[in-house]
Amino acid sequence: MMKKIQQILDECKELAFDLNFTRSRKWLEENPKGVVVGYMPIFFPREIVHAAGGLPVGIFGGGDRKQIVKGDAYYQSYICHIPRSIIELALDKHLDHMSGFIFPSICDVIRNLSGIFRQHKVGKFVKYMDFPQNFLPEIGGRFYQQEMEHVLSYMEEINGIKVTPESLNKSIGLYNKNRELIDYIYKIRQDYPWRLSIADVYHVVRAGTVIPVEEHNEILEQVCHYISGEVGEPQDKIKVVISGAFCEQPAIGLIRAIEEAGCYVVDDDYMLGSRMILGDIDNTSENPLEAISNAYIKQSQYSSSIYDVNDPKEYRLAKIVKDRGADGVIFASASFCDPSLLDAPIFQNAFNKMGIRYISFQYSENINQFKVIKEQVGTFSDSIKLWEGEPA
Amino acid sequence: MSNSIYTMGIDVGGSYVKGVILLYDSENGSHKIVDKQTEKIRKRNPKDVVVEMVNTLLDRNKLSYEKDIKYLASTGEGEMVERKTGHFYSMTTHAKGGIFFAPEATTVVDMGGLYVRAIKVDHKGKVMDYKMTGQCASGSGQFIENISRYLGLAIEEVGEISLNADNPEVPSGICAVLAETDVINLVSKGLSTPNIVKGINLSIAQRVVKLLGALNAQSPIVLVGGMGMNVGMIQAIEELSQENKKSNYEFISHPDAIYSGAVGAAIWGGFRYFKLKQKQAAVVA
Repeated sequence: MMKKIQQILDECKELAFDLNFTRSRKWLEENPKGVVVGYMPIFFPREIVHAAGGLPVGIFGGGDRKQIVKGDAYYQSYICHIPRSIIELALDKHLDHMSGFIFPSICDVIRNLSGIFRQHKVGKFVKYMDFPQNFLPEIGGRFYQQEMEHVLSYMEEINGIKVTPESLNKSIGLYNKNRELIDYIYKIRQDYPWRLSIADVYHVVRAGTVIPVEEHNEILEQVCHYISGEVGEPQDKIKVVISGAFCEQPAIGLIRAIEEAGCYVVDDDYMLGSRMILGDIDNTSENPLEAISNAYIKQSQYSSSIYDVNDPKEYRLAKIVKDRGADGVIFASASFCDPSLLDAPIFQNAFNKMGIRYISFQYSENINQFKVIKEQVGTFSDSIKLWEGEPA
Repeated sequence: MSNSIYTMGIDVGGSYVKGVILLYDSENGSHKIVDKQTEKIRKRNPKDVVVEMVNTLLDRNKLSYEKDIKYLASTGEGEMVERKTGHFYSMTTHAKGGIFFAPEATTVVDMGGLYVRAIKVDHKGKVMDYKMTGQCASGSGQFIENISRYLGLAIEEVGEISLNADNPEVPSGICAVLAETDVINLVSKGLSTPNIVKGINLSIAQRVVKLLGALNAQSPIVLVGGMGMNVGMIQAIEELSQENKKSNYEFISHPDAIYSGAVGAAIWGGFRYFKLKQKQAAVVA
């Protein structure tokens, strides 16, 4: 029987910010031989952990729900907030049921964080996972496959499960479905953003990072069914795309504040990892690792952690703006987030030439005061709604 | 398509909810306020206050929300207005409301419950520049309200009573907590209530005149927001302004100044209604 939508949304909200990772602990009780693997932002191919009898769990920091006491001792004041709260979570035993930790290559801060986890001997394995910056399948692709093989060997050492092409293809199929359903939500919201608020979308997508993919797909099916019908009342708001918030997550109050200030968010990179691969990964291949690798090389979303000179990210973001029918872009960067802040001038320079309107601001995951940001976003919205086409 | 439509503007502030029904005229801009209402929030849920106000205004004018109101615009804490068509930022609405009350004004000073904001505007009500007070409550209407309560005055009496002052003493203008302590000391010293209230008005007026200087404001200046109806405050601002030739501004006040946000929202709502209709027509064509 289908659950009521409000109940589903409430459950997702609970799951999304459950710093004790209760569902994964329960999963471990139900699957004593299972291996829970925590991964940090931005992106990790969860399919491989799933195929190896594991549960991949996203670790996105403590947000505004965890007071930092010990974490500050590990990082200088000019470093972003997320590594502090992740250390705090680890030292306070929030992650003690996880056997392994994946640190995807985003920036030096995350690299150092993997070293701190190693020093503290948190979990049975710690993997700093390098992603290729060479986009030739025979070079960068081969390298990426080897990185994934490392993870699988760590998993095999723990539970003895050897991944077969069949098991990996099955996992790829489940995650293909997952991406397709999330994509459907964004497609519907592109034209009917009032049917589900961006805060609800965020809860639904983030919940999927801490529960088994099979359960998340069921949730997504019901949400998709709900938003396929005429629900909610449209309001007179501009449409915006959010860019830059892919690693340290803004407080949910900030995500909500942007829509309250007069904008519909029709695309974003908040939970970029869950939407990183565009379209399906081939799940019929005899070499599924190669299929995953090819998908990363050829079908990745633009990202601050990818430097592909042949496919400039500013044009890719501009295409998203156009395809979504957005009126402008909001660059939201975590304070001291080098990848995001270094990309911003590239985007802004290109957008000035292309005539795409934008504003930018910085946030921190633990900041819960949004008055200034609301004023900025409200002014941006009004300037488009009231003065569009007027001489400056 | 008729050139005149009914719109509503609801301004949810820190202390009060203000609402208007406006007859918006797209032809020549001669909009008319049909009805208006102010409601103190007290300890109620602002959402309930808004619902009650909208219903009261509609019932009183025998209008239907669905059939007659073409755009319900919120401003201020817009998330408290559930049935809104759209939301406008409070600076945008106060600027427009100020120009509605005083079309000749080039500067709008919004003196609300939480802060004071000086806004440079063009003849269409477009915000060109602004300056506002910081976080401290000592320059706010809420501070005046607190003081009036300590002195046993109704908020409506505060303006009039300060006109009787003959020897005001100005308390601290930097911090509301210090200023409140100052007021207690002034009461202990036996200073008369008019002189205390006038001193407070002068303290806030100093901030307003400083803001205008920082903005390089030009006259005429229209005073809006809740404190814009306080005759004692207007007198204090004018006095301070005249003391200095550099800042000898010409001020305009209006009896409906508290409704500037709601009126501005209702006008922009009407503007958006016709703009969206035009866009739809263009798509169909």
